Amino acid sequence: MTAAQPTARHDEKPKASEEGAGGLPGELMIWVLIISELVVFGAGLLALLATRLTDPAGFAEAQSHLHRVGAAVNTVVLVSSGYLAALAVRLAAARPGLARLLLILAAGLGAVFLAVKASEYAALFAQGIGTETHAFFTFSYLLTGFHAAHVLAGMVLLLLVAVRPAPRPVGVAAAFWHMVDLVWVLLVPVVYLL
Amino acid sequence: MKLHYIWAALVGLSLLTATLTAANPSRAGLVLGVLVLAGLKSRLILRHYLDLSQSPVWARGFDLVLAFVLMAFAGLALAA
Amino acid sequence: MKYQTQKIALAYFAVAMALFAVQVIMGLILGWIYVSPNFLSEILPFNIGRMLHSNSLVVWLLLGFFGAAYYLVPEESEREIHSPMLAYLQLLIFVLGTAGVVVTYLFNLFDGNFALGNEGREFLEQPKWVKVGIVVAALIFLYNITMTVLAGKKTAITNILLLGLWALALLFLFAFYNPANLALDKMYWWYVVHLWVEGTWELVMASILAFLMLKLTGVDREVVEKWLYVIAALALFSGILGTGHHYYWIGTPGYWQWIGSIFSSLEVIPFFAMMSFAFVMVWKGRRDHPNKAALLWSLGCATLAFFGAGVWGFLHTLHGVNFYSHGTQITAAHGHLAFYGAYVCLNLAIITYAMPALRGRDPFNQVLNMASFWLMSAGVVFMTFTLTFAGTVQTHLQRVNGEAFMDVQDQLWIFYAMRFGAGVAVVLGAVLFIYSVAVPRREIVTPGPLERDRIEHDPDHVAAR
Repeated sequence: MTAAQPTARHDEKPKASEEGAGGLPGELMIWVLIISELVVFGAGLLALLATRLTDPAGFAEAQSHLHRVGAAVNTVVLVSSGYLAALAVRLAAARPGLARLLLILAAGLGAVFLAVKASEYAALFAQGIGTETHAFFTFSYLLTGFHAAHVLAGMVLLLLVAVRPAPRPVGVAAAFWHMVDLVWVLLVPVVYLL
Repeated sequence: MKLHYIWAALVGLSLLTATLTAANPSRAGLVLGVLVLAGLKSRLILRHYLDLSQSPVWARGFDLVLAFVLMAFAGLALAA
Repeated sequence: MKYQTQKIALAYFAVAMALFAVQVIMGLILGWIYVSPNFLSEILPFNIGRMLHSNSLVVWLLLGFFGAAYYLVPEESEREIHSPMLAYLQLLIFVLGTAGVVVTYLFNLFDGNFALGNEGREFLEQPKWVKVGIVVAALIFLYNITMTVLAGKKTAITNILLLGLWALALLFLFAFYNPANLALDKMYWWYVVHLWVEGTWELVMASILAFLMLKLTGVDREVVEKWLYVIAALALFSGILGTGHHYYWIGTPGYWQWIGSIFSSLEVIPFFAMMSFAFVMVWKGRRDHPNKAALLWSLGCATLAFFGAGVWGFLHTLHGVNFYSHGTQITAAHGHLAFYGAYVCLNLAIITYAMPALRGRDPFNQVLNMASFWLMSAGVVFMTFTLTFAGTVQTHLQRVNGEAFMDVQDQLWIFYAMRFGAGVAVVLGAVLFIYSVAVPRREIVTPGPLERDRIEHDPDHVAAR
């Protein structure tokens, strides 16, 4: 990490939010949201694993219906999208035009993620699998569905700040997007792999 | 700009996860391997995408909580 | 009092206090019915009394919120209220509606009539004409307050207060939607009931608490505002989907059990934040405000809200626990301490703060007021404990052992008797409070030895007055 870019970002920010968050980079409120979301998804994933103890065989069988390759593809899609968003934050002050393009591309990868997700859901529905089919599916639909809703919200945010890219709003939208990324990285092993 | 190294590392770790899963390791190997890889990826996202590397105290705090959560995941997964 | 129109609050607080008296007296009667179940069974059936007890509570709390808004908005926006006439008209509509409701309930008038009869849904029983009146009054209120704020200074406190009050009024519209399907009926019913007390009301509470902290502790506005925004965000984040904890057993899909359990567990956090906020502000604050009683109520509010709404709520919010405890006295224990801590204490805090200014008797006798805090709070806390024990025993006997409902109730008698005792303390405390804000004139209490010592030796200490 070069020192120059983050400083450039910070020039745009009010001092207050930095003091209040005890040195957290960026806006205090977005960190409140990020931590809240991580707590919710963390609790959901722990609840899945805890409920799994009651029926390990049933959970393993149910899990085998999920599409692991799709999940792996989506991981690469999301971390790449996160890269574009992070790049946009660093360029927002100096080159807003390029930042806009990067944000649109990042949102585009979000759409790719949702398309893969939709095909995954379609395959499950085709097998007649719904949220009540098995406890595992209650969790997997709930957690991945919640996450997908956040992807959609993140795309909207990215596109909104792409209209007039300035470091502060772009920083907020990108931070939300990275949170979506982070949640996915932690969700995949528990829902798809273990 | 080192950001693209971070991206490459994240993609690399994801591929490693896929390879590990496909290789059909033992249950313990799968659980621990996959969770360690997830932990490494999370750490990269937190420090370099979310810029926590600028605030070492928070970065360490997140690492600590993340480590506990992943250990809880591993414990529950291996208990099943 | 800097602005003349702040005086409107006095009328609201007066009606609120009258209904507060009705509420606690009705509570005492109900408490006695638990001890002696045939008491008044012909004249005032339990369900009617229960309806009056909870509805008068809700109405007086709302009137208190309105009064608080009329008191603090002029100070915050540095403007007189847009139209005092509309404010009094709004109060008049509320008083008429409340009177109409009480008469309709007591005599069950116009039963089954579309517009005039009671609607039969718990808390939303109001006849349709009253509901319409409530909406009209709410619109008048929002128009009046919003115009005042728009014309004047906009602060975080008025922003969050307006957000809470607007959302509160809009959510009430779900009271008009009453699907025939009972599961759907309940689902929308909670949009009003839950999203009020665990959503919009929390915003109102946080903003009034922030106003009190700002005035009582003298901490910088910037610091107060940052806390306020974080608290509001946490309240909405956890509270909105926390509605799921009411969707466990009403016929909604199974995933609500996990949504409800996870999000509603997080509802503890905003209440913890409010408690931390209040105490941190007092420690940080350099101002030692002479209205000690208002500070006592504010701190008591934040603390008891954390325990009543936060801890006692969490006790039975996980669906695995709620499967057994649902609808037992555990719920009653939580309900009493949560409403008292969060909303009753909050209203009494702002009333205690505003009354000396509103009635122009600034050095006032705070001893009675503070005594009423300890008496009432001790009463409600003791009631909460007795009901928690009753609920625990009830859950075991009825839900685990499978004994019949009424057999279990017989065995809970001792707890109900103790609860009635606690109720007596609460009523006495409420009477004392109302007396302390309504009757005594300007008066300075002679300080005792401890207080004299502090006044002499602690340069930062300001005497209570």
